[in-house]
Parts: sequence; C-alpha cells; structure tokens
Amino acid sequence: MQFKSRKFDDAPVVLDIKNLTVGLVDNPQAAPVLDHVSLQIRKGETACLVGESGSGKSVTSLAVMGLLPKGALAATGGRIELDGGNLLEFSPTRMREMRARRISMIFQEPMTALNPVMRVGDQIGEVLDTHARMPAKERRARVLDIMGQVHLPDVERIYRSYPHQLSGGQRQRIMIAMALVLEPQLLIADEPTTALDVTTQQQILSLIAELQEKHGTAVLFITHDMGVVAEIADTVHVMKQGEIVEQAPVEQLLRRPRQEYTRQLLTAVPSLVPRPSRLAAESGPVLEVKRLDKTYSTPGIFVRREPTHAASDVSFEIARGRTLGIVGESGSGKSTVARCIMRLVDPTDGEIRVDGTDIATLSRRRLLPHRKHIQIVFQDPFRSLNPRWTIGRSLIEGPLNMGEDRAKAMARAAELLALVGLPDDAVSRYPHQFSGGQRQRVAIARAIAMEPDVLVADEAVSALDVSVQAQVLDLLDELQHKLGIAILFITHDLRVAAQICDEVVVMQRGRIVEHDTAANVLANPQHAYTRTLIEAAPGRNWDFANFRELGSA
Amino acid sequence: MLGYIIRRILAVIPVMAIVAVFVFLLLRLTPGDPAAIIAGDSATPAQLERIRESLGLNESLYVQFVTWVGLLMKGDLGTSLISSTAVTSMIGQRIWPTFNIAVLTIILSVLIAVPMGVVAAWRHRTWVDYAVMTFSVLGFSIPVFVIGYIFIQIFSIELRWLPVQGYAAPSEDLGRFLARAILPCLTLATIYVALIARMTRASMLEVLGEDYIRTARAKGVKENIVLFRHALRNAAVPIMTIIGTGFALLIGGVVITESVFNIPGIGRLTVDAILARDYPVIQAMILLTSAIYVFINLLIDLSYTFIDPRIRY
Repeated sequence: MQFKSRKFDDAPVVLDIKNLTVGLVDNPQAAPVLDHVSLQIRKGETACLVGESGSGKSVTSLAVMGLLPKGALAATGGRIELDGGNLLEFSPTRMREMRARRISMIFQEPMTALNPVMRVGDQIGEVLDTHARMPAKERRARVLDIMGQVHLPDVERIYRSYPHQLSGGQRQRIMIAMALVLEPQLLIADEPTTALDVTTQQQILSLIAELQEKHGTAVLFITHDMGVVAEIADTVHVMKQGEIVEQAPVEQLLRRPRQEYTRQLLTAVPSLVPRPSRLAAESGPVLEVKRLDKTYSTPGIFVRREPTHAASDVSFEIARGRTLGIVGESGSGKSTVARCIMRLVDPTDGEIRVDGTDIATLSRRRLLPHRKHIQIVFQDPFRSLNPRWTIGRSLIEGPLNMGEDRAKAMARAAELLALVGLPDDAVSRYPHQFSGGQRQRVAIARAIAMEPDVLVADEAVSALDVSVQAQVLDLLDELQHKLGIAILFITHDLRVAAQICDEVVVMQRGRIVEHDTAANVLANPQHAYTRTLIEAAPGRNWDFANFRELGSA
Repeated sequence: MLGYIIRRILAVIPVMAIVAVFVFLLLRLTPGDPAAIIAGDSATPAQLERIRESLGLNESLYVQFVTWVGLLMKGDLGTSLISSTAVTSMIGQRIWPTFNIAVLTIILSVLIAVPMGVVAAWRHRTWVDYAVMTFSVLGFSIPVFVIGYIFIQIFSIELRWLPVQGYAAPSEDLGRFLARAILPCLTLATIYVALIARMTRASMLEVLGEDYIRTARAKGVKENIVLFRHALRNAAVPIMTIIGTGFALLIGGVVITESVFNIPGIGRLTVDAILARDYPVIQAMILLTSAIYVFINLLIDLSYTFIDPRIRY
C-alpha cells in the first residue's frame, strides 16, 4: 500500500478552524453538536474527516460554508479562519461572495444535487454570472474549458444536457466543474463518491487529486469509507459525537491508531479476504432460478424505443443454510433479479423454483400462499417501514395475511424482536424512535416473521455505518444458523460480499459473467470485469482490521 | 415531443364526442315529452306540435342525432326558444365579458398569490408565513358575494373611486373596462389567491428542502435567484395545475359575481336559460364549458413538458 507522505509544514495554512462549537438554537442547554473542533488544512493538502453518521462531519463542513440550517443550528464559539478573516463574523453578503470563489463544496448525491430543470452548462455558467461579470461568449468558453478539465466527453452536447440525461459519474463531474471553475482555495467534498459505483468512484477520486495538484487546492474530504481514506488522505481527523478524537498523518493513523475509537472503526472495516468456506450443502436447492429474463419494452404508437434487457439468461441455485451473493454495479440487473424472484415485477421468461414449485408464472392469487416462503429486506431502513405504524403492527401484518391468529402473531412478534436483539417494548414504538441499524433489525424481523425458506437481502447493509454493518451481518449469520434459511445477498460492495457469501455471482449488463465460490471469485477472478471491480476497490491492499498490509502476517 | 403533443390533441376527440352524446341525450331521454317540458304547463297542442317540429322530435333518435351532429359541425347550436335568435350569436355576445373578467382575475391572482406563497415558504414558521396562511383561510371561507358587496361599499360608495357596477368592452375603452372590471376581478380573485398561495407555499416548502437548493446556495447565488430561478420552476407543476383548473372553474362559475356587478356575461346567460328552460341554450352552454375544461386541461398537460424536461410521455 502506497500512502501519501508529502510534508505540508512549509505550505501556507488555508483553513484554520479553532475551537469551533455549534449548538442547537432551540435548546442551548443541550450538548453541543460540535464541541471545540479544531483543524488546519494547508495549501495542496487533503484532510479526511472520518466518523460514523451523526458524528458531526457534515455540520463541520456546513459551518465552514456558512450554510448551517437557519433556525436549527448556530455557531456559538470559536473561529473559522480563511484568508486572514474569521468567517463566523462575516455578513451574509460577504459570506455569499466567499462561496464558489474561495470555498466550494461538492455533495454526496449527484442525482439530486443538480437542478433538474436547468441545463448543466447554464448551472456552471451561473457560478460565473454570480461572481464575475463577463461577456456571454467568454463565459461559455470558460464553462466548456472547465468541463474539458473534468474530462467530460463531447462537452458541446453535455453543455446543453439536463442532469437526468447524464450518468451519476458525469453529474458528479459537473458538480466538480461547478465547484472549481473559479479556482477556490478550499474544496469541501462531502462523501462525493459514496453514491457511485466503485469504478466510477476511482475515476472521481483521481480527478479530484489531479485538479488539486493542478490548482493547489486544499481539500477537506468527508467520508466514512476507510478504503477511500487510505487512497487519498494526507492527514486524517477522526470525529466522534461532535469532537475530533484523533488527528494524524494517514499512514500513522492506519498503522498505529492511538485512540480506542479509531481502533474500533478500523477493526469494523470488512476485509476483502473471504470468510473461511463452510461445508457444502447436504440438502438440495431451496431456490432455483433458471434462464430468468426480464425485458422492459415501451409500447408506443409514435415512438418505438429499443427494449431494455434488464436481466437475461440468469441461472443459479441456493441450498438451505447457504448464502449466495449477487455483486455488480448499478444497472447490472442485480435488483431486477431480486424483484423478479420476489415477483414484485413479473419476469419475461424463465423459471423461479421455490421449494420445487415454479412461481414465475403463477397468478397473483395462486402466488399468495408461496409468498411466505420468500421474503425481502430492502436497502433503506428509513423508508421501508410505515412511519405511522407501530413496529408490532408492521411485524404481524404478514402473518395476519396468512390467516394467523392476532394474539399468537403478537406473541411471536415479541419473540422475533428478542431474536434480532431489540427490547420487547419495541412492539409498541414507532420507526422514528429507532436508529438506522435498529430499523434494519426490525426489517429483518419482519421478513423472518413469515418463517421463509429464502431471505433476499437487497443492499440490506449498504446504508449503515461500518460498525453497525458488522453487527447486522453477524445477525444474519446467526439467524441463518438457527433457522437454516437460505440468503440471497445483493450488494455492490465486494468487502461485504467477502464476509457473508459462500458463493458469488458477478453480474454485468443483465448477464452473469462469473459464478464461483466467494474464495475463488475474490482471490482468483476469471472475468475481466470482476478483476476491474476488485482493482477499483479502494484500499484493497490494506488489512484495516489488523493495521498492516494485506498478506504481511 | 411533437408525437406527444399530437397524441394528446387527438385524445381530446373521444372526450368531446362523449360529451356531445350526453348533451344530445339529456333532452331526448328526459322522461315525458321534451316538447311539453319546454313549452310549459299552459301550452296548446298546436304549440307543442310546432316545438316538436322545430326540434325534429318526430324523427327516429338515430336520425335526430345525425342531424344534430351535422348542424353542430357547421357551428349551428340551434335557436333559442325564448328569443328566437341563434344560440351561437347569443353566446358570442356574452362570452367576451366573462372571458375578459376571467383572464384579468387569473392574472391578478397569480401576480398576488405566487409571490405570497414563495415568501411564506421562504419565511416558513414566521409571522409572514402565518399571515399568508390566515389570509388563505379567510379567502376560502368568506362567500364571494359578501366580499363583492364589501368592496362595493368601500371603493364605490364610501370612497367613490370606482363605479358601482356595469361593464365596458376593453376594445372600446380600456380605462372604462378596467375601472369596472377591477372590483369583480378582485372579488373573484380572493378565493384563487388563497388557493394558489397555499399550493405555492406547499410546493415550495418541499422543493426548498432539496439538495439542489443547497447546491445553489453553495455557489453563492443570491437568495432571490435561489427562490425564483431554482426553486419556483421546480415547484411549478402543481401550481400550474391549480391555476389551470382555477381558470376553467372561473369561466363556469362567474354567475354570482356577474349578478352582483351586473355584467352581461355567460354566467347570467346560463342562469336565465335555466330559469326559462331554454334547452338549446343550456345544451350549448354545457358543450361550451366542457370544451373549455378539456382545452385548458390540454394546455396544462402540455405546459408540464415545458416546465420540466424530465416529463416526456
């Protein structure tokens, strides 16, 4: 692993945050959201701010931008120095002039961070209009120039495009172009690659590094991904509950973390080394998928679009008590396969055998009794539970539909909550009273309430912090032991797949390109696409949990 | 895009055909003899026969329909039973006052309501927001005729700024038109201001929480540009829907205001026709109002594709 090891002691300080404290406006007595946060970034340096959700990473960045949510959060102490001035003392107008000129920011979700009804060229041009007067022709030339610098292809066409016509990676390039067009001294990047595929992530990370090199920009990079940290950081600042608990150059932090919390964070990072293989299944398959096809075509009188092959010729099987992973990037068809198996969408062709019965073509009514054999857990635990229903009501809905007695279902709901490690008074509480990890436990309890043979987990841990992720993965493993369920685990994250799957299927453009044991796929990939995926995984040569290079035991 | 517009326009045909059949059957399928209903209780047999003759009621239903549609295509909506003038020319005279009042009302409503809604959303949960919401509730709950008479009392009788009632065509004298139209338009506008301001506020509140608004602020864009360029256009689809439906309702629902302000529009024409059982006029009015609704809905649907480039059918 090659860490960055440049020294910045001689470089001028760009951003100097001193004892910054941010508190709730409504409740000044409450514990501060940021508590005496201090950090310095020098010209050309990349400082990574890491920590779990809720640790105050984004609040720090918004405070620097002067964009703390009005009426909710406010800085109550400390200084944010940039260019010799204290940003906290600036008037709103002066602060507005700083944005995009001196400090820029790019955000996590390129899908939603651009105005959907404005052409992207105009959105970049607006930065120039706001801060510098220039003739239309010159403005256009500068926009096209920066679009070229972020390596967008066919800039003339993209200039006129709307955000929805671009891919996630292209949109993030537009965001970066917008942030850097006025060559600010400081770029704040708030999880800019979290929503992107690994291969796109790699490209965006090297783009940011390239432009930083070229313009000498200081970068404050917020992330929860230790792999990304290992790749790009010069210095790392670890945040926990509004405080910075450790600051160190990247290699020192990853090799010799001083704080217990940092050690915990690093230990929780799932390893790319696959779990030890388990005994092969003794029973036959409980889920068989044969030559599954899903084609989306758009019927139209005047327009005929090419049909989209979301999944073609997908075949695999899972035995009781085993876990099969489907790995692939967005648009690879992995979620389509999950939805077909659940019959949430109807497959175009092929067989889906659950316990020997082909459910691919059953009518809605005939399908109903088979639904209980196969259950799903979705990605976003915040949106997959009805916010106005108690946990208990969500848990018993399925069993009641299957004709179970209400009292019995309620008693079972309490048992299930204990099984997934939640207190039994959770039955009468509402989803908003739980954390993300707890909600995902509820979602799992809801799925196993039906006593399924197969559990489909569609990116079920992708929205969770690493430490919580590890706990939920352990829970799934434990449930599998106790109940003998088969798990179909859909993920874009190779590290997670390595930790939980017996077998891995790699999908690309709706087709399976590789199918083997997890150990073989990860250690000895056969297909070029699988190799690309593995090589793009950030920090893949570092064994985070053991603070050393991979394979240097 | 063009394909969508053509398809959407073609879809108007079946809707209007169904309305036409309904309007035709309305008279023919009413229980009893339509001629007797039209003529009233004190008609002589000779009068009845003349009415039957003039409506073609002695022919078979099928022949009657074909004849009626044929005339409709030529723009002949029949003759009023009361005034014996052509229905088309009656409507032609009366539609312009109504139309002018409706257009002015909608323009006024939009100019007042949209900024109100935007500011209320921007200053969410402050006194500005509460004031706008209070006005909205009042605008909804006070009957139109009460507001009309209050305006007349204040502006015409007490202050003597404006005439009490009446109408003048804008083509003849724009000043006279505005002087007479402003009160009825303001009266009508109260409810639409309430409605549009509320919808604007709700839609803007949602949009102001979006990531791209944060992006715009991070670019250093001025707050008024954030609100009107970035947020309002994204919030525009539901607002357009309300404005469009509001306009269609206005054309159909101006009866009270036209009565209060004594304006010779189609609202009063309709009331008079219903009271006098002038069936050809009633039929024509139903057809006309349906056509206006269908046409405005068409415009609303087409406007979506211009507001939001993601909407492609």
